[in-house]
Amino acid sequence: MHWPIDMIVLTFVIFCAIAAITVRDLLATAILFGAYSFMMCLLWAVMGAVDVAFTEASVGAGVSTVFFVAAVFRTSRRTKD
Amino acid sequence: MDDFLSLAVNIAYIGLLISFLSAIVRMVLGPTHADRVLALDLIGFVTISFIATYTISSGQTAFLDIAITLALVAFLGTVAFVKFMKTRLAQTHNQKEDESWKS
Repeated sequence: MHWPIDMIVLTFVIFCAIAAITVRDLLATAILFGAYSFMMCLLWAVMGAVDVAFTEASVGAGVSTVFFVAAVFRTSRRTKD
Repeated sequence: MDDFLSLAVNIAYIGLLISFLSAIVRMVLGPTHADRVLALDLIGFVTISFIATYTISSGQTAFLDIAITLALVAFLGTVAFVKFMKTRLAQTHNQKEDESWKS
């Protein structure tokens, strides 16, 4: 029995991307982008691109989420002056 | 691949897809940030187990390295969010204390 795994996960990825641009909170956007990155890593692995999935796992899922959170944390919604 | 292993892999796929769906629903609907952070952690570990299951079903051991890398890296986002929320909570707590002291 063959599963259309890539189609199902791609549906989740599109759902996550639409939610990430719809939600009105920067931290929630960063979290949704992290989930998007995790699922894109899974999708690259299912497609057979091992090294791309490796890079996505280490850079996209790990480091960029931390960078986005740090950027949200260091900025404020309104200007100081 | 014999029949029992194929059946086990299919059941694992069904469970992992249901887990993915429920975690994404909680992440999109989640009222607080803690719900979303926990859903992100769950999605990370479901991805790791999904890649491990796909390694079993495809028979190529090169995919297992991706699972190991994800397991090494998946906790970083959670730790960053927890540090963020701790600092933000301390700030709001201090502001409340200042306001109560002023009034």
